[in-house]
Amino acid sequence: MKNRNNLALTRKRLLIAMLPITFLFTVLFGRLFYLQIILGVELQTRAGEQWYRDLPLQAKRGIIYDTNNEILTENRDVYSIYVRPNAVDDISTVASELSRNLDLSYEKLYENISKHKVSEITVKKQVDPETAMRLQKLNLKGVYFTVDSKRNYPGSDLLTQLLGYTSIDNVGQSGLEAYYDKYLRGVNGFAYTNTDIKGTETDKTVTRYVPAIPGCNLTLTIDLQIQKFAEAAVLGATEEFKALSSNMIIMEANSGEIIAMANSPSFDLNNVPRDDIEKLNALSKNTMIVDVYEPGSTFKIFTTALAIETGVVNDNSTFYCNGARMVDGQRIRCWRSIGHGSQHLAEGVKNSCNCVFMDLALAMGVDRFYDGLESFGFGNKTNIDFSGESSGILMKRKDVKTVDLARIGFGQAVAVTPLQMATAVCAAVNGGNLYEPYFVKSIDSYDGQNIFTRTPKKVRQVISPSTSEKLRGLLENVVREGSGKKASVEGFTIGGKTGTAQKYKNGAIAQGKYVSSFVGFSNVGDKTYVILMTVNEPSGYVYYGSMVAAPYVGQVFKKIFDYKGLKGKTDEEIEYIKMPDVLGMNVEEAVNRLEGMGLQVEIAGEGDNVIGSVPSATTQVAKNDIVLIRCEQ
Amino acid sequence: MKKNHYDFLLFAVTIALVLFGILMVYSASCYSAEVNYGNKYYFMYKQIIGAVLGFAAMIALSRIDYHLLDKFKYIILGVSLILLVLVFIPGIGIENYGAKRWINLPFFTLQVSELSKFGFIIFSAGYMAKNYKKMTSFLGILPVLCVGGVICLLIILEPNMSITICVMVLMFAMLFAGGARIKHFIIIAIPVVIAFIILILIEPYRLDRLMAFFDPWESPLEEGYQLIQSYYALGSGGFFGLGLFNSRQKYLFLTFAESDFIFSIIGEELGLFGCLLVMVTYCIMIYRCLKIARNSNDRFGCYLASGIAFIIAIQVLLNIAVVSGSIPPTGLPLPFVSAGSTSIIVFCAGMGIVESVCRLSHPSSELTYIKHFKKKEKKHRLNFEHKDKLSAE
Repeated sequence: MKNRNNLALTRKRLLIAMLPITFLFTVLFGRLFYLQIILGVELQTRAGEQWYRDLPLQAKRGIIYDTNNEILTENRDVYSIYVRPNAVDDISTVASELSRNLDLSYEKLYENISKHKVSEITVKKQVDPETAMRLQKLNLKGVYFTVDSKRNYPGSDLLTQLLGYTSIDNVGQSGLEAYYDKYLRGVNGFAYTNTDIKGTETDKTVTRYVPAIPGCNLTLTIDLQIQKFAEAAVLGATEEFKALSSNMIIMEANSGEIIAMANSPSFDLNNVPRDDIEKLNALSKNTMIVDVYEPGSTFKIFTTALAIETGVVNDNSTFYCNGARMVDGQRIRCWRSIGHGSQHLAEGVKNSCNCVFMDLALAMGVDRFYDGLESFGFGNKTNIDFSGESSGILMKRKDVKTVDLARIGFGQAVAVTPLQMATAVCAAVNGGNLYEPYFVKSIDSYDGQNIFTRTPKKVRQVISPSTSEKLRGLLENVVREGSGKKASVEGFTIGGKTGTAQKYKNGAIAQGKYVSSFVGFSNVGDKTYVILMTVNEPSGYVYYGSMVAAPYVGQVFKKIFDYKGLKGKTDEEIEYIKMPDVLGMNVEEAVNRLEGMGLQVEIAGEGDNVIGSVPSATTQVAKNDIVLIRCEQ
Repeated sequence: MKKNHYDFLLFAVTIALVLFGILMVYSASCYSAEVNYGNKYYFMYKQIIGAVLGFAAMIALSRIDYHLLDKFKYIILGVSLILLVLVFIPGIGIENYGAKRWINLPFFTLQVSELSKFGFIIFSAGYMAKNYKKMTSFLGILPVLCVGGVICLLIILEPNMSITICVMVLMFAMLFAGGARIKHFIIIAIPVVIAFIILILIEPYRLDRLMAFFDPWESPLEEGYQLIQSYYALGSGGFFGLGLFNSRQKYLFLTFAESDFIFSIIGEELGLFGCLLVMVTYCIMIYRCLKIARNSNDRFGCYLASGIAFIIAIQVLLNIAVVSGSIPPTGLPLPFVSAGSTSIIVFCAGMGIVESVCRLSHPSSELTYIKHFKKKEKKHRLNFEHKDKLSAE
């Protein structure tokens, strides 16, 4: 066979070889066109995630003001300290300086900084400016600082449960900080920075800023000054009576504004005990909104109001108390075992005689009484601007037996929140208008534009103005010459009602455990303030609302009058008498003796023999004041 | 008759590509060099040294008679094979990225597989020119296959899959140019395909790379990482790129940005337009080389020039295919442009050889190599050479 392999063939083949080469170059160009032009935008979007490091610029949280523009919560600059291990020259110096200044473990820092795979380590957040400045002066390579803001509460443990606290990242966790978080938090900004793969800023860094928008400022209905009076009162009561807790709500009756809300015990909002979750949860709970208690005699206000409104009682009605009532075969005792005898309504209210209110409740019947109570807001939330509100416990209407009806009449077999109680009292004394209670008066943007202004919201007319007027008279009488005497302030008209309810545990009465309360109201200038104070489990034998809560409410009213610059009308001199010695006397004898002298008597303990008195003998007592005698078998 | 014997266009595109390479190596490596070596010119300086040596080699080789290479083809092949073996000797060979590919020389590291490609071209060109009659039989092409097979085996042991593929494709291309018969290719192709499958099964990382090629987003931090980074670079380029020195992917995102993946950075900074220009330049270079091969006076020169044209074409195409995710990723430098002294020196030297072929294939050449000239081969000589000889006689 002739060899056909000549150079002509090679030349032909070289020419042929150009074809696949040209073809493949064309194909690859097509591929590049697809990647660079068609997929280009998508690829760039994906790549953006790795090219830029977006540092959040934290928005300044809104400031919370009281009604007089006093700052309740503000922001303070704090520093976050970071280390970028790849930028660190001298690991041991950096680790030792950081551990010395920030009180951190040297070994752990050293270990972390040695990890070169990590681009950035957060060493510590919320470092105070002084420490941060000191570290900055050391010029440590690889250590970075950013300014954050931290919540600062000038009042420390003032308004703790109401204001609430934020997380370390400035997110509202409880109280108003949580409820209004979406207004307070603002909108975070960002700083986009070109970085290399390790997060180091590149030489071409162009940082683009999207500025943060500060949060809105809140203006509360709270008056810081009055709040301080309330805080002092609850603190004083808790300590004086070694109570589990005490709290106080001050509310403006004609709008529903909460003027003060204090709780004891409490904690410093600047130093939240985050380590002890249980303790934190217990202490940060706003028990006045979230928890219920059995109101006892303070509830008689509504029985009275509804009885007058429904017409089952008039000025001439008389009631007789022999110390107990038989209802459906059950003997229900009045608090005063010796009875109150024959009384008009006014006397019944002044004496807080259980029999009177049992009669009134029974006279109204379940439906009329319940309609009224529900109208006052019991069994329903008040819709206050706060999370976790309780509805209270009102028995189901169809389950209410006559015995229950009688008990509810004087404040047993019913549970309310302190807020419901205060809100209902406002309605009872302001002419009958039930207002929705609220904390936040207005919300303004950081640059001063108003975003929201609250106007008082009247929910409904509960009782007629005339009934309300009549009720005011009856309750003012309680303070003038009844069990509320210790809440009186010389020269001012104050109305109110005491309450001493036994606590229940597992359905049974818990011996010696009481909730002592007092709810009072008075005109303060053109406003009407309602103050409700409850003292939970005062220890010792002084547990009557009249002795425990009423005096503190009186003190707070006095401070408010002074603060508002109001002068009382002093048209009568107060007459003082000497406390007689009633030790060893028979109870009835002692009561007659003291009442004969113009004093009011509360009795502690069971039995016939008087073994002590408060105040003790020979002490000066104002006429009409309340004294306590202790009895024993 | 033209007085210029050299192909100046080929010189021009070679120098242009080398200078462009230096620029792009600087742009792609300035950040990583600063971070890793504290000197942002680190890779550029090395590349400049490589370019100077490369130009020297190119000029030297273009001036000598390429037939000298034919004379020394066994020595050149032998040195290539010895160097390939030396890589495996500890202390001489350098291991990097899990592969032994370099020999440590006092002033630079030598990537021996780059040399062996040219060793193979010279050997097979010489062999085929001498035994061109046997090329149509399987026995005739066997020596080329054997030498190619041994080189491939040594390179795959380093391991360096991509150069192995290069040498293999080069081998077939040269046999094709040398006049081997098509049916022999098919016979050889079958065991090669089987060998590929076995190689992939032996080293599972190759399979992982293969899978990564199908869907890099499956494993964006492992196998798919490099390809994704290359996509990001190309995708950012668009039509005209971000501008010279403005790559973002060079900030340590794209590894080997100055070497095997320099084309990604070209695409990012200069866009599709820049890519097209580079590809067109390579096409010009390849076509010029093939043209010189076709015009060559003798078979050796023809095979030599076409082999060099083929290796450039193969490596450029494979490199761009890898960078654009058209084939599974494998590390292969872009001739003349990628950082790497050995690569730039041997490719420049290759261009010198092609220029030598060009110069000596000119009709007016007086330096025609006649030492091996034998009477019985006379009739197969090209005409003008024949006439030349006759007139001399």
